[in-house]
Amino acid sequence: MGERVLVVDDDREIVKAIGILLKKEGIEVLKAYDGLQALDILSREQVRLVLIDVMMPRLDGLSTLLRIREKANIPVIVLSAKSEETDKVLGLSMGADDYVAKPYNPRELAARVKSQLRRFTTLGDIHAGARASEIKNGRLLYNTEERVLYADGEPVRLTATETKIMDLFMRNPGRVFPAEEIYRRVWEEDAFASENTVMVHIRRIREKLELNPKEPEYIKVVWGIGYKMEKQEKNS
Amino acid sequence: MDTKWKNRKKIVSFLVFFLGVSLALGGLADILRKKPFGTRLWQLGRILEDDYQQSAGFRGYVSDRLSDFLVMATGGEGLWGIRVYEDGTYYSEYGFDADLLRELGGFEVEEWNSPSVSREELADYLNNLKNMEERFLELLEAMDGLEDYGRQEGFSSDLEMYWNEMSDYVQYLEDILPESLSGKEPKSLTEEQKQSIAGKYHDMIKGDRNLLYAVAYDGKVLYSNSDLLGAAGGSAITAYGDVVLPEGYNFLLYFDGEKVRICKDGREIDVYGDGYYREDSDWHVPGYVNFQAGDAVKKAVVCMAVAEEPVLYEEDSYGNGVTRRYDNSLYWMNDTFRNRRQSLLEGFYCLAAGLILLLLAFLDRKNRRKATEEIARIQGKIWLECKILLFLGLLYGLFIVWLVFVNSGEWHQIWEEMVHTYEYNYDLTAAGWLGRELAGSVPPVFWTALFWGLWLFWNDLRHNEKIWRCSLTAKLYRTFRVKGMERPLSRRMSRRNRTVFLAGLIYAAVMLEQVALVDTVWRGENVRIIVCVLAAVETAVFLGILYLTVRRNMEIARDVETLSSRIAEIRDGDYGEQSSRGAGGEPAQSGADSRMAGRGDGAPCRDLEPVMAQLEDIRHGMARAVDDQMKSERMKVELIANVSHDIKTPLTSIISYVEILRQEEGLPDYVKDYVRILDEKAQRLKNMVTDVFAVSKAASGELPIQMEALDLGKLLRQTLADMEEQIGDSGVTFRTDLPDAPVTILADGQRLYRVFQNLFQNAIQYSLQGSRVYVALQTDGRLAVASVKNTSSRELEKGKNFAERFARGDASRTDGGSGLGLSIAQSFTEACGGRFSWETDADLFVVRVAFDILEHGTDPAEAPGEKSDQDTR
Repeated sequence: MGERVLVVDDDREIVKAIGILLKKEGIEVLKAYDGLQALDILSREQVRLVLIDVMMPRLDGLSTLLRIREKANIPVIVLSAKSEETDKVLGLSMGADDYVAKPYNPRELAARVKSQLRRFTTLGDIHAGARASEIKNGRLLYNTEERVLYADGEPVRLTATETKIMDLFMRNPGRVFPAEEIYRRVWEEDAFASENTVMVHIRRIREKLELNPKEPEYIKVVWGIGYKMEKQEKNS
Repeated sequence: MDTKWKNRKKIVSFLVFFLGVSLALGGLADILRKKPFGTRLWQLGRILEDDYQQSAGFRGYVSDRLSDFLVMATGGEGLWGIRVYEDGTYYSEYGFDADLLRELGGFEVEEWNSPSVSREELADYLNNLKNMEERFLELLEAMDGLEDYGRQEGFSSDLEMYWNEMSDYVQYLEDILPESLSGKEPKSLTEEQKQSIAGKYHDMIKGDRNLLYAVAYDGKVLYSNSDLLGAAGGSAITAYGDVVLPEGYNFLLYFDGEKVRICKDGREIDVYGDGYYREDSDWHVPGYVNFQAGDAVKKAVVCMAVAEEPVLYEEDSYGNGVTRRYDNSLYWMNDTFRNRRQSLLEGFYCLAAGLILLLLAFLDRKNRRKATEEIARIQGKIWLECKILLFLGLLYGLFIVWLVFVNSGEWHQIWEEMVHTYEYNYDLTAAGWLGRELAGSVPPVFWTALFWGLWLFWNDLRHNEKIWRCSLTAKLYRTFRVKGMERPLSRRMSRRNRTVFLAGLIYAAVMLEQVALVDTVWRGENVRIIVCVLAAVETAVFLGILYLTVRRNMEIARDVETLSSRIAEIRDGDYGEQSSRGAGGEPAQSGADSRMAGRGDGAPCRDLEPVMAQLEDIRHGMARAVDDQMKSERMKVELIANVSHDIKTPLTSIISYVEILRQEEGLPDYVKDYVRILDEKAQRLKNMVTDVFAVSKAASGELPIQMEALDLGKLLRQTLADMEEQIGDSGVTFRTDLPDAPVTILADGQRLYRVFQNLFQNAIQYSLQGSRVYVALQTDGRLAVASVKNTSSRELEKGKNFAERFARGDASRTDGGSGLGLSIAQSFTEACGGRFSWETDADLFVVRVAFDILEHGTDPAEAPGEKSDQDTR
């Protein structure tokens, strides 16, 4: 695709590894080893996305992120060894588009980079004026008329049952559905071993649309209560 | 040098004050004591009267003499009070004995001449009578207020008996006594006798030429030691206007048969005033409207002249060695008068000097105050007992001095004049008389000393707070108390209670005894009063002991309250410093502080103080221990966080490059195998790091928890569904026994999911191949218990704590787990408020997770007809 991504981390091996991984996905990689260097490169080069580590010498990741946001609206993914919720929220609230905790899964990272790039390029125009028949939630877009789900702008192949489940979730983001209710509304019959049946389908859907199906971001289990579609705060 | 001067100034100032007060007080007391009777303090002229003839004593003397002369002139009776009885015996009102009477007039006094009884016998009779009378009176007194009728009867018969005996005696005495003594009228003296007495009297006083007199009757001069009324025996009586006073005489009294005229220093004195005699009239002489002389006196003329400066007249009858001294009353009167005036003057000088000194002391009061404070400071160091003893000693000493002074009889001399006045002044009541006498007879030193004693007492009271603090008794009490403090509390309390009990016992016994004493034994009013006073004192002492003990017990009760509230606080986890939460806590503490400060000796004075101190120590220890633990936990978490962060960075590189290797094409199969192993181990390392972080956070209580009401059964089903694939791949079967109805509990779903995920993973990992894992949820309405039972593939070590961190069934640690599964499950369960327990029975491993059921939390969305007992295979 010829996209150019800037990777910033004080650990040269990590930068190099990310470079190799992304190159395999056909993404060009620029490398920087601290915040100032990154800003320097950004001022000179055209970059589509920035991957930036938080803990760096001279200028840390979050400060750099603030400086970047002063000039450009390019997607920024924050990498951090801190994996606590508060750190994640802090990073996102300071303008990051995504947050990946170290040690990350390389394939997941690549998927997230690609997702961001795609959204920035292909969906750039779409989200400006959402149509009435479309429901948008983060990376997902659901067309109620066509009954088609898009992830990062690309249609997701779902079975009929899966589409019914997603229809329910996308129309009611944030609402918690007990397995029995999902079963009743999708299969339109009385629940029987609903938990397992529903869970099997949900797991399959996750594998199709989540970047990391083991840590789902969209279809979540509310333990002891039911399932829900997580409403993404950031709709960019 | 400066301080020395200051000290000297203080001393001088106080000395001035001391002298001033002493002199003024002494002078004043002296003046009050010696001032002429009937004068007021401000009547300076009268007090310092120079002329003895102005004194009441002089007037009394003159009046007495006039009446004597009138008796002599008229030949009446009563001169010297001498009377004679019909049987020829004489007696004198003034107590002249028979010898004197005999000497006076040569009268024969008849001897006691009764043949029937001897003197001794008569004395015996009289003695008996006297005794009987006493007993009689005693009986009469006893009968007063007697209520017992029977005893009254007895008394009456006794009295009757006495009465009879007494009548007998009286009868007998009447029989034997000479008739003359039994109430017969005295007979008149004969003219001869009268003249003889008058002549003796005249003989006695005529030598005292301080008083010149002439007594005439019926135109004849009868007695005189001068020629005031003409020569003796002459028929011409000199009239008042013609009387010539000799040289050196300035006082003239002339009685013309009706009225008295007095001329002093050439000026006539108004004797009668408005003409009526009153008690306070100066002159007790006849001639008032209401005090007329009798008819017999009308023919009498008396003239007296008194010397201005009396002298002592003596007559020495040389030869028989007797010096005869005449009456000389006027001389002694004048002498006393002068002496008194002199001492009065001295008193005034003292008073004046004292007042001046007092003024000086007032001007220099600053230094004086310092001096008094100094004295008070010294006084403060003296035991109260000493002070009281000293004061009592002072009083006693003064009493002795007074006794000696009074006994010396000096006051009689000084108060002679008062006695004279008193004779005509019946108005003075006995108390007033005694009071004046007492006040007058007490020497001024007494008053001064008394004043200083009181002043010292007042000074002590004013400057020294709580003077009873510094006393031997208080010191002993304190010593005793402090010593008692060294004993253990229980012994102290039991001893105190014993003391109260004993005191009560003694008190009751003594009271009983006293009541019995008063009631049964008759002892008269005095004994009863004494017993009552004793009882009151005993009651006061007993109540005092009770009060002290009760106060002590109240203190203890308050302390116990404080103590228990402190214990409760500590139990509730409040290890903070002294809180003022307890109502009694804070004030009690401050009270103790102030008492400690007040005592100043630092000894513990409250019973529970040591206990409280120990409790404080425990609290400190616990607070420190908790603090230390918290700190070390926090440090551990921090350390683990840092370490895990430091591990994560290289781990990221490892995982990244393993992934790159994995994607590498054309690697030989064995290399791919190596890469697979690397990948597996890297993933495990990653899981371990995350787990370690989580478990350390949970253990230190820093795990964020979001509690919500959830269905535990559903959570278990969800977890099982979530892990369906894993379970399916494993060689074990899960059997579930979950109720259809929701089991609502309060917990953090995400954390609880981790708990059961770990438990199920454990079960899968360590179960015997082909065995079954039983997952059950049981409720008893209040408690929900989820249990996971599996058969271990390995032999379970007995007594091993599997929930310990990094504990594993296999000590060699070669399996795939992090060793934190159970530990995390336990930490998370407890963080959510549940109870986690596990047990082993041979190879059966059972884990139980228990939660309290939330009463009202049924999920309305719950669908009916859910199947239980699902087989997930």
